[in-house]
Amino acid sequence: MKTTVDARGLACPQPVLLAKKAIVENEEVTVLVDNDIAVENIRRLAAKTACGFSVTEKEGGVREIALVRTGATGHPPVDADAVAAELSCTVVPEKETGSNVVVLSDNHMGRGDDVLGDVLIRAFIHTLAQLKPLPATIICYNAGVKLAVKDSTVLDDLQQLAQAGVDILVCGTCVNYFGLGDQIAAGRISNMYDILETMAGAARLVRP
Amino acid sequence: MEAPPYAVFLFPSVSHTLKAEKILKARGTPHKLIPVPRHISSDCGVCLRVAVEQQELAAEALQDLVNWERMVIL
Repeated sequence: MKTTVDARGLACPQPVLLAKKAIVENEEVTVLVDNDIAVENIRRLAAKTACGFSVTEKEGGVREIALVRTGATGHPPVDADAVAAELSCTVVPEKETGSNVVVLSDNHMGRGDDVLGDVLIRAFIHTLAQLKPLPATIICYNAGVKLAVKDSTVLDDLQQLAQAGVDILVCGTCVNYFGLGDQIAAGRISNMYDILETMAGAARLVRP
Repeated sequence: MEAPPYAVFLFPSVSHTLKAEKILKARGTPHKLIPVPRHISSDCGVCLRVAVEQQELAAEALQDLVNWERMVIL
């Protein structure tokens, strides 16, 4: 059996509840919704109930969702009731961080002159704190860990970045080597596994 | 944009900026070395930022020791 649910203009969680009821009673359901939260909730319903899910943009902000049961035909999808408990009616906040990773491998920017390199790295990190989108992660290793210490001139910028959701990984081996164990004031101590996994999984590596 | 009101001092060269920074550091005047904001100049330069209420103190500290080109309120 096929059916269509018109859930346009309905407040959350009505659209997903109607979709759930419909897919329990039918093999294929088309749902019309007009907001992202409804789309995401129905996407989750589909995942939980092993239904096929596809969404098509229509005119006027309307989305047409196709749900198809992929399990044994004639049986209602499993776990449909569990879905209700996981509904989310809150607006998903716009993601502030992208998927780039900034690698700070030194406490200077560039080679040639350390006084200039110090000026440049401070300007770089200050500007980084205002970049949109922010990087997902900042990795500090070798002398780069010195940027994250208590009396660092860029500490406020790093703390601002951390507060905005940027994960700051500070190489533990390096902190230990420089004897800075009790002085790290931004980010979290990390290891080569996390550092390499993060670098390998980055959309882009950005280096000063 | 910088959130609280700040004043920035622009200098004729990076060396001037660094000299001025040393003076403010020695005086204990809170400051920050930042890139020159885009809307002020497109040059790749750095400048010194102080809180607006520190502006006069900073100007006084730098007086006669290092020339600045411009002071801009952000």
